[in-house]
Amino acid sequence: MKVLIANRGEIAVRVIRACREMGIPTVAVYSECDRASLHVRFADEAYAIGPSAPRESYLRIDKLIDVARRSGADAVHPGYGFLAENDDFARACVDAGLTFIGPPADAMERMGSKTGARQVAIDAGVPIVPGTLEPLGPTVSDDEITRLAASIGYPIFVKAVAGGGGKGMRLVAAADDLRSAIRAARSEAGSSFGDPHIYLERQIVQPRHIEIQLLADHHGTVVPFVERECSIQRRHQKVLEESPSVAVTPELRERLASCASAVARAVGYTNAGTIEFLLDRDGQFYFLEMNTRLQVEHPITELVSGVDLVHWQLRIAQGERLTLSPDVTLNPRGHAIECRIYAEDPDNGFMPSPGRMLGRRVPGGPGIRRDDGGATPGLDVPIYYDPLIAKLSSWGGDRGQAIVRMARALGEYEVRGIKTSIPFFRWLLASDDFRAGRFDTTFLDRELARRNGDPFVSLPDDAEHIALLAAAIHACEAAATPGRKRAAPGKGNGRGWAMRGRLDALR
Amino acid sequence: MNFEIDVNGQPHTVKVERTGSRFRIESEGRVDVVDVARVDRTTISMILDGDGGLQGSHEATLLEGREPGEVEVYLRAGVVHTRVAGSPGQKRWSAKGGALGAAGGPQRLTAPMPGKIVKVLVKPGDEVVARQGLVVIEAMKMENELRASRAGQVKDVHVAEGDLVEAGRLLTVIE
Repeated sequence: MKVLIANRGEIAVRVIRACREMGIPTVAVYSECDRASLHVRFADEAYAIGPSAPRESYLRIDKLIDVARRSGADAVHPGYGFLAENDDFARACVDAGLTFIGPPADAMERMGSKTGARQVAIDAGVPIVPGTLEPLGPTVSDDEITRLAASIGYPIFVKAVAGGGGKGMRLVAAADDLRSAIRAARSEAGSSFGDPHIYLERQIVQPRHIEIQLLADHHGTVVPFVERECSIQRRHQKVLEESPSVAVTPELRERLASCASAVARAVGYTNAGTIEFLLDRDGQFYFLEMNTRLQVEHPITELVSGVDLVHWQLRIAQGERLTLSPDVTLNPRGHAIECRIYAEDPDNGFMPSPGRMLGRRVPGGPGIRRDDGGATPGLDVPIYYDPLIAKLSSWGGDRGQAIVRMARALGEYEVRGIKTSIPFFRWLLASDDFRAGRFDTTFLDRELARRNGDPFVSLPDDAEHIALLAAAIHACEAAATPGRKRAAPGKGNGRGWAMRGRLDALR
Repeated sequence: MNFEIDVNGQPHTVKVERTGSRFRIESEGRVDVVDVARVDRTTISMILDGDGGLQGSHEATLLEGREPGEVEVYLRAGVVHTRVAGSPGQKRWSAKGGALGAAGGPQRLTAPMPGKIVKVLVKPGDEVVARQGLVVIEAMKMENELRASRAGQVKDVHVAEGDLVEAGRLLTVIE
C-alpha cells in the first residue's frame, strides 16, 4: 500500500504518522500557500496541486487522481473536510483503480442526504427527531409546509436537505415566522449546497449532542465505541468534546451503540464513521445524522479506548478483519477531553486571526496529547482554510483529572503572533457549570451572550510591571551593545541574532 | 542608565543598574532586583527577589513591533505593548495607533481577510456606539461581525451585501 493524503493541516499530519508507524509510504499534496507546511515536510513525497483557493487545489478531483497515478499511490485517505464526504470523489478513486480509505460511495451518498439518512434510520428501527420524511422542493407551497409544521409542532427547524454545520438552518418559534424562514433556508441551501430542498424537524429543547464512533470491516463486523459528548458548541460548531458523557449510563450506552450499529449495517457501511444523536432531558435519544468519515474529535475516543482509529482505517481498507471486542471498545478507560484551538480572536467576536505564527510554547506532561501540525512557527496561518491550528487533548483517570490536566495545559500553552482561542478555553474550563457537567447544546452561546464582550484575556495586576522590567532589561542590553543603533529584538525573521548577541553577554 | 518606557501607552521613567546577570531596576520609587537568564533567541527568564519589589519566576518573550522601539512583551497571561523612547533616531510615543484608529481622525474599517459581505448593518448617517456591529463578512467558513472601535457617525459605506472583497478593502468610514 502507498497512500495519497488528499488533505492538509493537522489531519494530513495525523494520517502520515499512522502510515509511518505501519511502514506505509505517503504522498502529500499541497496548494501554493502550503509549500512549507508540516504535512509536506513529513511526507515521503509531495506534489503541487495548484493555487491556494480550495476549489483550485484540494477540491480538484482530477488533479488528485493525477497525482496518485504519477506517484504510484494505490490508496487515498481523504481526512475530514474538503472531499471527505464527496461520493463523486470516492467513486472517481475506485474508477481509477485506487482504494478509497472510507465507506463505499453509495453508502456515503445515501447518508449525505438528511432525509435519506432519516429514512435509513426509520427502516433500521432507530428513533429520529419528529419531522418530515420527504424532501420539500421549491414546488411545495408555503401553505402546505405550514400545515406540515402544525402537525409536527413548534418550535421547529427548517433545514437544508444537503446541509451541515448549521448552514441552511432556521429555527422557527411560531407559525407567523415560518414563511420567511422557509425563504431564508431555501436561499442559503441553494447558494451553499446547490440544492434548495428543505425539510422540517421539531426542535428538541436543550438537547445534548451525543455521538457514537464506529468501525466496520468488509466482512460484516461493526464495532461501536464509547460515546462522545459534543454539546459544547458555538453557533452549532463543536469547540470542545469529551468522552464518555456524564449523561450516559452503561444501559443507555448499550442502546445508543446498538442503534448506531443498526444504521451502519443498513447501508453496508465500511471503515470509520460516526452516528450523531440528540439526547433530550428525559433521556430519550433521536438519530440526527451520520458523518461518513474520520472526525476531528477522534483522538478522545483513541484516548479512552486505546485503539488507534487511523491504523484501523488503513487495515480495514487492506481487507483485514476487525478483531476488536465491544467489551473493550464500550468500556471507557478513564476520561478524555479535546479543545479545538482556532486561529481566532475570542475578544473580537471570535474573528479569524490569520497571519504569521511567530513562536509558541507547547504544553506537555502527564495525560496531554497534541495534534498541532496545522500550523508551525515561522509560517503564516493561511486565510483560505479552516482556522483550526491545533487540537489539544487531555486524558485522566476520571473526568476531574482530565479537566485539571486540560486547565493546566492551557495555562502552559502560549502562541505568539496570532490570536487563538486558548484564552476562551481557559475561561470555559474554569466554569462551574462545565466542571459539574451541567450543559446542553445551548449552554455556550447563552454563556457567551451573558458575558457581553467581557474580555477573555485579562492580565493580572502585576503583568504591566513585569513587562516594564523585561523592556528595561532589554533596553539596557541594547544600549550596552556597540554598533547597534536601536533595539531590535527577534521577530522570527533573522533579526533576532542581534538580541542573542546582547543576551549572550549575560551568561 | 535611564530610559523612558511606555507600557500600554503609559509613560514610565526607569533607572537600570546591572551587575553581571543581576539587574536593579528603579521606577516611580519602586525597586526590583531581577536575575536574568537567556532561554532562546527571544525569551528571557527573570527571577525577582522580592526585596522591596515583586517576587517570583517570570518568563518573557520580546518581539519587535511595527514602529521603532516597539516591543511586544509576551507573558504567561498575555501580551503587553511597550515602547522604549528616547534612544537616537526615535520619535517619542504618539497617541496614534490601534487597528481601527483608536483615537482621533475617522475610523476606516477595512476587510481583515478576503471574504463575502453577508450583511451591512449600518447606512450613511447612522450614529453608532463603540463595539456596535457594522458589517458581517463570511470568511474561513465562519460569519464574522466587524465592529466599531468607538462611537461616531457613519460617513460612507463602500460595500453591499453579496460583494466579494479582498483583504484590506475599505468597507466603511466612521467619523
